[in-house]
Amino acid sequence: MAHLVLDLPPSSLAARRRSSPALLAALPLLVFLLCFFVGPIAGLLKEGFVSDGALSLANYRHLIDTPIYRIVLGNTFTIAFFVTLSCIVMSYPLAYLMATVSQNVSRLLFFAVLLPFWASALVRTSAWIALLGKNGPLNTLLTSIGVLDQPMAFLYNFTGVMIGMTHVLMPFVVLPLYASFRAMDNTLVQAAQSLGAGSVGIFNNVVLPLTSPGVVAGGIIVFMNAVGYYITPSLMGGPAQRMVAELISYNISEELNWGLAAALAGVLLVTVLASLWTFNRLFGLDQLISGSSGKGASAAPARRTPGGRVSVVLGVACAIFLLLPIIVVVPMSFGTSDFPIFPPPQYGLRWYTSFFDDGKWMGALFSSLRVGVLVTVLATLLGTLAALGVHKMQSERKSWLDALFIVPMSVPAIITAVSLFYLMAPLGLVANSVAVVIGHTVLASPYVYITVRAALRSFDPALELAALSLGASWPEMFRLVMLPALMPSLVGGAVFAFVTSFDDVVMALFLTSIRNRTLPKLMYEGLAHDFDPTVISASCVLIGATVLILLSNMLLEQRKGAL
Amino acid sequence: MHASSQFGAIASADLMPTIELAERPEAQGKDVAVAGVRKTYKNTVALAEISLAVARGEFCTLLGASGSGKTTLLKIIAGFESPDSGSVRIAGRDVTQMPIADRNIGMVFQNYSLFPHMSVFENVAFPLRMRRLNHDDIRRRVGQALDLVSLGELRQRLPRELSGGQQQRVALARALIFNPDLLLMDEPLGALDKNLRQTIQLQLKKLHHDLGLTVVFVTHDQEEAMNLSDRIVIMDQGRIVQTGTPDALYLQPDNPFVAGFLGECNFIEKPGCIVGVRPENVRIGAQIGDSDLRHDGQIIAATFCGMHWKLFIKSHNATMIAYAPVAGASSASFEPGRTVSWGFAAADAMEFAVQ
Repeated sequence: MAHLVLDLPPSSLAARRRSSPALLAALPLLVFLLCFFVGPIAGLLKEGFVSDGALSLANYRHLIDTPIYRIVLGNTFTIAFFVTLSCIVMSYPLAYLMATVSQNVSRLLFFAVLLPFWASALVRTSAWIALLGKNGPLNTLLTSIGVLDQPMAFLYNFTGVMIGMTHVLMPFVVLPLYASFRAMDNTLVQAAQSLGAGSVGIFNNVVLPLTSPGVVAGGIIVFMNAVGYYITPSLMGGPAQRMVAELISYNISEELNWGLAAALAGVLLVTVLASLWTFNRLFGLDQLISGSSGKGASAAPARRTPGGRVSVVLGVACAIFLLLPIIVVVPMSFGTSDFPIFPPPQYGLRWYTSFFDDGKWMGALFSSLRVGVLVTVLATLLGTLAALGVHKMQSERKSWLDALFIVPMSVPAIITAVSLFYLMAPLGLVANSVAVVIGHTVLASPYVYITVRAALRSFDPALELAALSLGASWPEMFRLVMLPALMPSLVGGAVFAFVTSFDDVVMALFLTSIRNRTLPKLMYEGLAHDFDPTVISASCVLIGATVLILLSNMLLEQRKGAL
Repeated sequence: MHASSQFGAIASADLMPTIELAERPEAQGKDVAVAGVRKTYKNTVALAEISLAVARGEFCTLLGASGSGKTTLLKIIAGFESPDSGSVRIAGRDVTQMPIADRNIGMVFQNYSLFPHMSVFENVAFPLRMRRLNHDDIRRRVGQALDLVSLGELRQRLPRELSGGQQQRVALARALIFNPDLLLMDEPLGALDKNLRQTIQLQLKKLHHDLGLTVVFVTHDQEEAMNLSDRIVIMDQGRIVQTGTPDALYLQPDNPFVAGFLGECNFIEKPGCIVGVRPENVRIGAQIGDSDLRHDGQIIAATFCGMHWKLFIKSHNATMIAYAPVAGASSASFEPGRTVSWGFAAADAMEFAVQ
């Protein structure tokens, strides 16, 4: 198929004929997603419209008529709304800080933002639970300095859910907001100052209007993610903070009521797709692909406004908020007491020993690694091929395929997981890890697709033509010219794919059994049933792995930048 | 002051306007004094103990190459940077620690810094809104100002829909509408083409005259500095090298740096001193007087400049520049390779001590 491409001159006619081999490249991922994403979800949704063997809206009517479901739906949207709000409010000072400090400090702050983002939901949640518990370090600190008379309940209530979800979703607002701050001409602030504006005036008249697109974009993504959240609210919230995802899971594993679960999934899916549609209308899905990080033109202001100084303090506080659980949990893991205490009275490797010596934990770790490697290979292959294919296509089909290839990332994992479970459990694919590998590949291939697609866009097409005109065949050109240019992004995409698989809990909950469960699933069981401090040392092992992976990826990108 | 008198000068900018000088009114501007200002960034000294006084109604230009410290000094006066030591006073009042918004300084930025999301009207209204003027006053004053800069029709446009010259006028209107004590301009004409720049220079000069503004103007363009300024401050490596009126600086430079920076100059090394001679004072062939110093050289190149021929003459292993009158000369008379004699009157030589 490659030979077909290279012999044609780059005319519009050629482009049309080129589409067929291009479509072939995109076909594997297309078929894969139709079989394991679109198909299963359609199958699940169908269940929502079936009641007693006949087509009906009974399940949906049941959702509206039963108070508990109404309450949970209300909760879900309320929590998602307030999480979005708090992400926006907290992102402003942090993004401002990141955009106005020296490059090294900025890089450090980036790390602070990205680490919780990539650290597994379970690691973060277990860190927060250890930190915020009744006898946790925060309550100990606040009572000992006299701020509180008695320990305050941060967990298993609305506060807990807000803390946990804001913590993980903030990067979605911080990063686009950072880009807006960097793109903003710094002299505009100076101009406003010289024309008599105070800090509030500058914020309302200059900063807010110029950064609002970035904020709205980030806010939509946060909302979209928040509505489908499962792990954090179920572990950090109380009964009053149950969200739709948890209810779907409950209906399937406890009630075996597939119809109702499907109806709930339908509501969730419509919400998410509507958010995605809004995002597309306002900004275009292209924004997700280009992933701009600011042009970096404006220098740090030498003299901050009073409002700027306040923002710096708040921004530092937000950075601490992001890093705190991870900073605190590491020393705690080296404690020796039966229950995690901060700071530990005595240091030792007790909980690491119990992690590395226990066949249960080691089995889970190896299961995670095995699945992770398989998923990385599969997702990288499918994602890269699809990116190459779509890149070569004409525009009309492009946007549809772009949307399809990106959507699996945005659809709540619980929906995909339940749909695949519905399809695969009867076939016996859950016990042998096929199901979880497929599920993770659905989740991970968009990351590879997006990074490679972005790299292809910045690849100068003239280089391809030059190589071909110099006598290279298309495969030679690809190997010698295109692939080297794509390599850093390809590796980056593969890293994202691995981390996505390695950190996932939701899919593993449904798509693995007790024999092939992954590390996050075992940790979830450790947290949900009785608190086993080995979870903390396991978290630290995962944090260590994530830090290593992120650092090597950052170094790689730096080298790419230096070239 | 009434807005209409402020903008009387700025007519449609794209043609050279006829300019009538108004009676010079009571100066609106205030005086500025910078004393002992020092500024360092990490290990580089941006400004080393600068002191400078700008009188009421004076048009003072900071002239220097990039990195000379001129923009840093301007930013310290504006309040965008704070000095490590020293003070800034406006009309005798110490403003070194005063917030920028309270200094009442109008500033025109290099790239104009118009708010991209606001219309022309909103940009110009911005300082009045910040000063909490009532709605009607704002509409009236901005309307007058825009009519007078011939932008009334464009009031609803966004900055990106304007030409460079129009943006420049909006920036100027915005900086002046609140009657600032001081107008600071940071290379404001750099982005404009040459003809437009000349027109705006003329309008600026008129505006300065009519309103009695105190202006501190930053540029690296020596011709622009000479066209506009009452006084030029030449800066180099964070220091003031010399200050003076354009003619004083040109005719009596303190040192070779100033002589070479402001206009062209030939330097001849003599034992114990350096002699500087302006090209227009170099005489060729028969023009050389009896009492003049006389040398021989070889023409390397000759270019016709309209007012004169510009000759490059190789002599004593140096290249001299001379302006020869157009009358009675042709390209044949300055053919490269020809030997010519050149000289200058002792009175035209500027002598500098060797540093």
